[in-house]
Amino acid sequence: MPRPARDRPFLDPTVVARLGTLELKARTIVEGFLSGLHRSPFKGFSVEFAEYRQYIPGDALSTIDWKVYARSDRYYVKKFEEETNLDCHLLLDVSGSMAYGSHHALSKFEYGGCLAAALGYLMNRQRDAVGLTAFDENIVTMLPVSSRPGHLLALLVTLDRLQCGRKTNVAKPLNLLADTLTKRGIVVLISDLLDNPDEIIRGLKHFQFRGIDVIVFHVLDHDEIEFPFDRATRFEDLETSEEIMAVPGAVRGHYLREIGALIERYRRELGASGIDYQLLDTNRPLELALLSYLSTRSRAL
Amino acid sequence: MLSFLSPLFLAGAAAAAVPIVLHLLKREPEARMKWAAVRLLKRAPVEHTARRHLRELILLALRVAAFVLLALAFARPFFATGAAVASSSVTIVALDTSYSLSAPGRFERARQLAKDAIARAPAGDLVGVVSFADEAEILAKPGADRVLAAAAIDEAAPGFGATRYRAALSAASQNLDGRRGTIVVVTDLQENGWDAGDHASVPAGTTIQLADVGALPPNLAVTAVRTLADRVVATIHNGGARPRDARVHLTIDGRPAGDAIVSLGPNQSADATFAGAPRGSSAAVAVDDPGGIQADNVRYAVLGGTSRPTVLVVTGSGDLGREAFYVQHALAAGTAANAAFQVASVGGAPLAAWTDDRLAAHAAVLLLSTRGLERRGRELLASYAQNGGGIFIAAGPDVDGDVVGDVLGAGSTLRIVTVNGTRPAPRALAPGDVRHPVFQAFAGSSATFGLVTFQNAARIGGSACQTLARFTTGDTALIECPAGEGRALVLASDLDNRWSDFPLHATFVPFLHEVVRYLASARAHASDYVIADVPPGVKRVPGVVTVTGAGRAGTGPRPIAVNVDPRETDPARMSVDDFQSAVTRLKDAGGAEARVEARQQEDRQHLWQYALALMAVLLAVEGIVASRTV
Repeated sequence: MPRPARDRPFLDPTVVARLGTLELKARTIVEGFLSGLHRSPFKGFSVEFAEYRQYIPGDALSTIDWKVYARSDRYYVKKFEEETNLDCHLLLDVSGSMAYGSHHALSKFEYGGCLAAALGYLMNRQRDAVGLTAFDENIVTMLPVSSRPGHLLALLVTLDRLQCGRKTNVAKPLNLLADTLTKRGIVVLISDLLDNPDEIIRGLKHFQFRGIDVIVFHVLDHDEIEFPFDRATRFEDLETSEEIMAVPGAVRGHYLREIGALIERYRRELGASGIDYQLLDTNRPLELALLSYLSTRSRAL
Repeated sequence: MLSFLSPLFLAGAAAAAVPIVLHLLKREPEARMKWAAVRLLKRAPVEHTARRHLRELILLALRVAAFVLLALAFARPFFATGAAVASSSVTIVALDTSYSLSAPGRFERARQLAKDAIARAPAGDLVGVVSFADEAEILAKPGADRVLAAAAIDEAAPGFGATRYRAALSAASQNLDGRRGTIVVVTDLQENGWDAGDHASVPAGTTIQLADVGALPPNLAVTAVRTLADRVVATIHNGGARPRDARVHLTIDGRPAGDAIVSLGPNQSADATFAGAPRGSSAAVAVDDPGGIQADNVRYAVLGGTSRPTVLVVTGSGDLGREAFYVQHALAAGTAANAAFQVASVGGAPLAAWTDDRLAAHAAVLLLSTRGLERRGRELLASYAQNGGGIFIAAGPDVDGDVVGDVLGAGSTLRIVTVNGTRPAPRALAPGDVRHPVFQAFAGSSATFGLVTFQNAARIGGSACQTLARFTTGDTALIECPAGEGRALVLASDLDNRWSDFPLHATFVPFLHEVVRYLASARAHASDYVIADVPPGVKRVPGVVTVTGAGRAGTGPRPIAVNVDPRETDPARMSVDDFQSAVTRLKDAGGAEARVEARQQEDRQHLWQYALALMAVLLAVEGIVASRTV
């Protein structure tokens, strides 16, 4: 007996990692995700009337235009044309710090790439226009917003070619992008946010001021959340190569307080600004991020 | 000095290697990791590697110490003192100072052998010196000072005693004091050094080495002097392998009284007779032998004295041949010259006419019958016992229990009940305490008493009496009762082959001799003593001396002759193997004693409890340090 789609578990990121191309990953994530949402409240959005067509047995009765029938005594069904009504900007952090990944999970960079691809796929399927901006301390790559059928491929190819850069400066590309956007839409930031939180929050609020909804996916590795180490270790910064010798047993408490305070600050201050904040553990399924996006999108429409 | 009751548990201290091995195995190279959130670690209290390393070393030391302390506690440590100290070994030099070494040049050789033994003692050994003849004397206690030991040997000189190896080994063993060691016996290996059936015991692990001084030189010795009514007879012994003519001199009270020449074959004895009634108090017979043993060249005798103790046998009529045949012959066993005792007899009735002094002249009294024993006679016997005399009572058919009750004095608890008319029931005698002097001489052969069959027996007992032997029926067979300063032995049967066949067995004569010796030991009556048996207070030098009876009735001042033991002149020697075979290695006897002492010391000190407490403290500290390190 086939398992009900509702009860189907989300894809484990490690399973996603083993899939071939980024397109396949994105399709697998999104199709699996949508198949579980066939009764979702998002059904039927973004469609517009196109033409009438004579009823053919088998057409859904709900599509029959009863007013026309009253006037002409003939059965006609409405034909709708889907249309794009949102511009979605994917901002992917490709700084050096995103390269971290524990042995049993995707790196933050990979996880963020998969997430961006899945979101792009989903947006494209929804006829939303989607664009991609990859940045570290500067904007590395920028793919303009578009809803053309071939745009998804360009997006995936761009994502596939990305590599981790060097230092992080999240606020700078945020401000640059905020100044260039003129149309209402959604900005999706995928980053580990290991930068100056004041500047990041200020940059995100910049979008808010311009009437653009923002979703922040705070991607952290499980190790960065739990700090499960026990051996004395020399930690080398991925971006600055700065080294620090630490005994995990001695610094764990302090670290967990620091990371907890950082997360809590983002959650509190972004939430207070109406910015959706979603902490993503690279161990957790990507579909949860899609769910968060769709929730925000429905609010934006 | 720290010792251990169960040192094998110290092997458990090897477990201390476990934390060390784990420490070494877990020593990994410093880990490096590329990390995104280093900025979050910057303000953390970063622990310095050196401090952590030190803390790990402290942890390691605490864990190792805990294991060691645990093993230490199980090993039951204690600070040993005295006998419990058994670390260093000891070399005891036992130097023979018997008079057989008084021949010219022999003791010098013995000294040299003793010094050589000290010089050969392993470095680090303690060295002690013991001299021995009849008795052993400690010349130098075990110590590290070998010069002191050598000086003690230089000061030693041969005496007049006879060789007794048991005394030497016993003293040397005691000086080992529970430690392992070597006993070097410097002696001329005379066979007479071991008494018949004699043996000595040393702790297991003790090595006995023998330094042989050499065989006796040709020697002439005066081995006996008998003063008879009309002459003085001296026995001269030639211990050499060649015939010799011995020139013998008699001296009475220090004045020359005659000379004689005796021709002696190799290893033969002959008498030198000096005719004429000796008049005086003491005689001395000397033989010219400048090259032989000096101490045996002269022998002394008390004129008019008896050389043997006299035993008084009280019977019904005083007729020994008829009433105490076996007793008479048992006491007088041996030749006329060397019979152990002189035997006198008296009937019960005539005894009443005796005086205390006359009775006190006897070494012991054997009461075989109470017939005719009047009250006066019983009072005499009671007085004799109260003043230190020894009485043997054979509770046979001629002894009336009611009468004999007074013999030991008014306060005596002795009770004898003669059961008449009962059917004879064969029974044997079993010594209850083989360590008692009466049975000590029988040593391992005391079971031969079981061959004697007693058909009848009286019931004997007394609240103050000690049971020495029982019959196989469980009845008391032999008891010892105190009587003032004296003592009494009571046998629940007779000595005359009527109630028992005791006189027909080989144990009868030695038993009777031991009984008389024991009873007579409280009083001295003989006039001829060898050096080993001189009364207390008498110097152990040959000669004639006067002894007193310490105020006892009937024991006034009297002269006694003190002579060397003639057995020492016997040139017979034993081999080293024979000597060693006479020595028993008590299996860890000293060790057992040391272990008992060690256990007592350990019980008093309870160091294991302190070790466990310290271990608990260390583990608590380890827990605290470890919680800060992880």
